[in-house]
Amino acid sequence: MVNDLAVIGLELAVVFAGLGVLLADLWLPAARRPHLALVTAWVLGLILLASFGIEAEPVRTAFGGMYRLDALALFFKRFFLLAALLVTVVAREFREGFEAGHAEYHALTCFALAGMMLAASAQHFALLFVALELVTVTFYVLVSFPRRRVTALEAGVKYLILGALASAFLVFGIALVYAATGTLAFEALAGRLETFTGNRLVLAGLLLVGAGLGFKLAAVPFQIWAPDVYQGAPFPTTAFLSVGSKATGVVLLLRVLFEAVPSLTARSGPLLSVLAGLTMFYGVLGAIPQRSLRRLMGYSSIANAGFLLVGFATRSTEGVGAVLFYLAGYVFAVLLVFLVATLVWRGAEADEIATLGGLGRRAPALAASLTLGAASLAGIPPLAGFLGKFLLIRAAVLGGAENPALYWLAAITLVAAVVAIYYYFGLVRAVYWGEEAGSASVGPVSRSARAALVACAAGVLGLGVFPGPVLGWARLAARGLGL
Amino acid sequence: MNPGLEHYLVVSALLFCLGLVGVVLRRNLLVIYMSLELMLNAANLALVAASRFVGNLDGQVMVFFVVTVAAAEVAVGLALIVALYRRRQTAHVEDLTTLRL
Repeated sequence: MVNDLAVIGLELAVVFAGLGVLLADLWLPAARRPHLALVTAWVLGLILLASFGIEAEPVRTAFGGMYRLDALALFFKRFFLLAALLVTVVAREFREGFEAGHAEYHALTCFALAGMMLAASAQHFALLFVALELVTVTFYVLVSFPRRRVTALEAGVKYLILGALASAFLVFGIALVYAATGTLAFEALAGRLETFTGNRLVLAGLLLVGAGLGFKLAAVPFQIWAPDVYQGAPFPTTAFLSVGSKATGVVLLLRVLFEAVPSLTARSGPLLSVLAGLTMFYGVLGAIPQRSLRRLMGYSSIANAGFLLVGFATRSTEGVGAVLFYLAGYVFAVLLVFLVATLVWRGAEADEIATLGGLGRRAPALAASLTLGAASLAGIPPLAGFLGKFLLIRAAVLGGAENPALYWLAAITLVAAVVAIYYYFGLVRAVYWGEEAGSASVGPVSRSARAALVACAAGVLGLGVFPGPVLGWARLAARGLGL
Repeated sequence: MNPGLEHYLVVSALLFCLGLVGVVLRRNLLVIYMSLELMLNAANLALVAASRFVGNLDGQVMVFFVVTVAAAEVAVGLALIVALYRRRQTAHVEDLTTLRL
């Protein structure tokens, strides 16, 4: 028991950080409460540092094999910690948008983070379900946190209904798989799967589980919620949704597809490729006419889910490694865009892209940061986003030797990536060549925000120019799946 | 005739589909939410029945988790719906039209 607790030490630390923030909010005098954001960020940073002291080898398990601490889990845990740390900084800049309960926001971020980190280690459908729900239920609150804004409430209710529907699909799918095979553990399921070849009950159950996870990923046909919810949610939540929540879907899908049902995934034919293509095109075509930044990012998030699915469709170590590297570049680029957006609009509700006009003159540094983020998302060399897309397409082409459908997928990905450049360029055009929209100067940038901006810009550039170490971790983590 | 696992699964699938139809067709948020609960409980029925026929308790333990999580979800969900009702004086999905292109 004590050994088990030592294995989940990182998650425990995050949960205690969340509880600590809540308690500190009770006892601190009102004047000192705003500092809690910085304290949370520091604590998350320390936990992130501590995570580098943990060895992935030998692989450790806890709670009867339900929980597994391997290279893949560690990669995602660090990823989630970094995302939550940056989101906390964004939330601090967004504080005027919340009437009250700043500390609650940071605490909820920590709890959602704990759910994501547990999900990264799931080896059992019970842990998968509970971790996923911890993330989802926390996000219902985070989305509608400014509770006097009709848009936030509406987004929250839409997320609630569709999220609960996805949970129902997930649980029913788990029930069907269990009824057919009699086990909920991934390893046991993988062992028994051969005897259930062609069993309709297993197949239907897995499709339902896939639906529940596809919702998290915002993949077609479960993407309808993304634009509305992204647009209504406050900026830090939107950033966390597009990075943390999506990556939770990615890691769980990896675990289920390649660890729980590897033999079925190998025979799934073109299903994943078709979903990847449809998701990419829905995202890039939907994003073109958008005028609201968060709605644009919502469609962009769908398109990125499509790009990530390309790596799944290759069913190779190469492809999964590319997915992980793509995510690492994605977190920096998205957070860069949302940091700048928060610094420009502060807690305001509006986010019309046209009002960014003249930012190039009003705040050149912020404009440059936004351009860097958008360029990385668009996949301009030598930034991280370019290398991520390149690796994904390369994995698809390499896989094409065995599975010619992947050549088509690589071509479609290339077209979608080119279309994506168009709408991200719209953002850059508004910043530098847009009509001057009001003369309101951008307020002073706090030190924490400046540090986060520099870190994100360094990440976007560094991953593009010196991809070595992170790519090494990504490949190491992907190799653990035994493809 | 003793009821077998398939009988339970058919009942549970019927309940699940009833819930799904409710979510798709009904227009009141509270009724939609009740339909969602029906879907979750359909899954619970399947889990308990499967646990009985498979011969281990994993399914029953899973049901405890599902019930607990559903309770948490309802607590948050009803709070959200009440907050929305206070602002908009409505609980109908047709009125949720602020977020559109």
